[in-house]
Amino acid sequence: MQHTLAIINQVFEIKQKLEQDNLAGKFERNFNRLFSAFEEEGYTCNNPLGERYTDSRSDCTANIVGRESKNMMITQVIKPIIYQKENGALTLIQKGIVIVESK
Amino acid sequence: MKAVNFGIDLGTTNSLIAKYENGNIVVFKNPIGHKETLASVVAFRNDRILVGDKAREYMLKDAVNVFGGFKRRMGTDEKFYVVNMDENVTPVQLSTYILKELQQFVYSGEKPESAVITIPASFDTMQSNATKIAGEEAGLEEVFLLQEPIAASLAYFNHQPEENHEGHWLVYDLGGGTFDIALVKITEGEMKVVDHEGNNFLGGLDFDLMIVEQLIVPEIVSRTGVEDFGAQLTTQYGLYEKLYYQLLYKAEELKKELSNLPQADIDFSTDIEGKHYDFYITITQEQFNNIISRRVDETVHMLKQVLERNHLPVEMIRQTIMVGGSTFIPYVRNRLEHATGIKVNMSVDPTTAVVVGAAYYAANKYYTPKDNSDLRIGEDINDLLKDFDDMDDAFSMPLHDFSLSFSYSKMSKETEEVLLVKANGVFDNYSYRIVRADGGFDTGFVLLKTKFTEFLPLLPNLNNSFFVTIYDEQKNEISSLREEIIITQGQYHIAGQPLPKDICIEVDDKENNTTKLELVFEKNSLLPLKKTLYREISKTVKKGSDDKIILNILEGDKFTRPLSNLTIGCIEISGKDLKSDLLKGSDIEMQIVISDNRELSTEVFLVMTQQSFKNVFSITEKQISIARLKEQFNDLEEEIRKTIKEFNFDDNEVWATSANEMLSELLSHKKDLAKLNEKDRSDKKYIIAEAVNRISQAYDKIGGNDRLQNLISEYFNIKEYVEQYLMTCDFEKDRLQAKFKQLTQGENQLLRTRNPSILIKAIEQLNKLGWDVLMNTSSYLIARYQQMKSAPEWDYKNYYAAQSIFKMADKALEQEKFFEFRQHVYSLTHLVKYEESFVKSNDFNGTGIG
Repeated sequence: MQHTLAIINQVFEIKQKLEQDNLAGKFERNFNRLFSAFEEEGYTCNNPLGERYTDSRSDCTANIVGRESKNMMITQVIKPIIYQKENGALTLIQKGIVIVESK
Repeated sequence: MKAVNFGIDLGTTNSLIAKYENGNIVVFKNPIGHKETLASVVAFRNDRILVGDKAREYMLKDAVNVFGGFKRRMGTDEKFYVVNMDENVTPVQLSTYILKELQQFVYSGEKPESAVITIPASFDTMQSNATKIAGEEAGLEEVFLLQEPIAASLAYFNHQPEENHEGHWLVYDLGGGTFDIALVKITEGEMKVVDHEGNNFLGGLDFDLMIVEQLIVPEIVSRTGVEDFGAQLTTQYGLYEKLYYQLLYKAEELKKELSNLPQADIDFSTDIEGKHYDFYITITQEQFNNIISRRVDETVHMLKQVLERNHLPVEMIRQTIMVGGSTFIPYVRNRLEHATGIKVNMSVDPTTAVVVGAAYYAANKYYTPKDNSDLRIGEDINDLLKDFDDMDDAFSMPLHDFSLSFSYSKMSKETEEVLLVKANGVFDNYSYRIVRADGGFDTGFVLLKTKFTEFLPLLPNLNNSFFVTIYDEQKNEISSLREEIIITQGQYHIAGQPLPKDICIEVDDKENNTTKLELVFEKNSLLPLKKTLYREISKTVKKGSDDKIILNILEGDKFTRPLSNLTIGCIEISGKDLKSDLLKGSDIEMQIVISDNRELSTEVFLVMTQQSFKNVFSITEKQISIARLKEQFNDLEEEIRKTIKEFNFDDNEVWATSANEMLSELLSHKKDLAKLNEKDRSDKKYIIAEAVNRISQAYDKIGGNDRLQNLISEYFNIKEYVEQYLMTCDFEKDRLQAKFKQLTQGENQLLRTRNPSILIKAIEQLNKLGWDVLMNTSSYLIARYQQMKSAPEWDYKNYYAAQSIFKMADKALEQEKFFEFRQHVYSLTHLVKYEESFVKSNDFNGTGIG
């Protein structure tokens, strides 16, 4: 399982780097294929970028930048959230590593 | 008397819980995030209490309400003032939170009644007693204490049980934030911590920071020319705070990589003083070692001090046992060994050594469970009787005079759903906690009010299960009030229209020279629907040829044969459409979308030729591939003919007559079908397709339940036969067993289909496997060989060749070389004439999708 997680994280990072340089569109089909293959193996990868961050979110480990407030948002994702599906139920196997800022 | 079995490492930075079970130690994982460690941090947020890793996130930003490192204050009268609560909490109370949270890790639901809790060697009596009280407050009936170096040594000694361990040992514990060195003496089976030394501010976190400050920042300064960048980076709420956290994380990853590799890279992009920079920095193990050497030498110095104080030369020390995550760093181990000359021992996982040792110790500690029927202290029997008389209905009264009512939507299309809870009864200072079963949501402890709401985030297209737990004033769980709430996301939304039947595609089943259905959307899924399937091309299609790849989309029942379903969409890609040859094994991507108004659109992408084929179908319009229809027609004809033969053989006249009638009806369309070509625009193809579909469904119903029962019983007979012979099989047992498992694993689904042709195929496959098993069983091979040897000359295609094989086979048999003998029998079977009838024709075209 550790190797699969490492591969998913690498694919996620490659995608992020391509997005930074506006090149991701060219590889969209390949990424869809890769993430679909991970899903077939039972691994679902979520990118929580732009989502609301609250005290109750235990799917991420957050680094809070600036002052905290009631309206916090995930502004950077260093590692994605990964769930594993087994017998129809999901289990969180990797917490996302994120940076959180006030809206 | 019961064995304690549970061990707890209540650490300064992280805590763990483990249990001794049948000779093994299980280190429990946090159900949230599945980590073995729990951060020893408690956060008193505005409206809730968070314990563990979540609490640690707020340590820097909400320091007046978040507390870590309180283990160092155990046994003191120090109190922590919580601004949010306007009250004080003690280190014991904080430790109690951690101990209670750890108990939630025990996935079996077992509640530890007693446990061994580890304490640092430096703890005095007050501190030890405080730890014991924290354990008791956390609900443990009896608490045993064990010093951490002893626990770590026990973990090692249980790993090497046969050795004699008498003498002096060092336990070197370098964790995330603290360092401890202890001298342990073992004499006549008794273990004792003789001396110890430590530093509460030295550990792996310091190393991460050093990587950032001493290796990364200088690179940034040299590229950007911003001299005070280091100071700017570490300024709280500063311009580069986001980058700081990112670099700290990357530094930790780099540190781990450098434990295995001679060099590793860090890359990041950032804007500094209005200019964009991409950094790619390579850091070697040597650079890393240089920056941490001073701190590591500090630990060596403390170690030597301990030895000097006790007048012990290094030769007197058996080994140094390594504990704590930072001892994974090769430099730490090498430096220690080199500077002291004492052998370093890493045979036990240094992150779990203490808790593992505690659990071993717990296995040999016993406690007497409290008998709950005993009178409570200070209570008189008459008081209890009075309580009993006061109850209106003593047996139906809940344990707590308290109940909860919930209001929520059980099905939702939203990404979060509101839960409204009403609490009835007395619940002073009770709190609640809601956790999603997968671990992605946890409210922490929230003070209970008469009415409250929580927004529950939902994972898409799933049953989201939430557990609502109630805790009393002491944060003890009231297990009788635990409730499970299930909210189904994405299902049965009133506005969405459900699919009336399964939607499948037809793919090749090469093993049986036919096609089968593969489910795309299940019946009752809500529209709109979208899915991309990734498959391989199962035959080569030459550019310019008439060969085709056919994507047939069918509506019906996923458990039936493709023939019995209605084709609702079809894309044919012929060799003439291709830019280049399409090779077998190349990838095909098929996106299938059904809109709200049931319009079907498909897009096929051939990766090899980089071609895309799109089609939009209205489901009122039937789509038929003539090539596929012809093949399906032949399949059905062949199948019915074969069945008629079997019915006749079994003297089943009634069934045979029905099958004959169907065959006649089918054949009445044969001429028209032969004349059809792809350009035909008449209705004929629809008429024939409808007939094939109808006859196929009727054919499956011949004999009704009786036929099905016969086939099911035949299936189980052949399965039992194969299973039995598998046990005595002599060659390739693993392969054959795996094949058997593969054929029988979908048995439940197979029986649910109640479809004779699918059952017949399963029986045929098991039958084939049965022969394969026999051909790998020596006793059968010998019998078969004797039979073949006595067969007349005309049974063979080449009797001369057979005779020479007989000689070799006899010799192999005589020398008991059964494997070689098997090869000779195989060769003989190819020379026998009748074997030819078993060879199937291989002109199957199929869909071209594997």
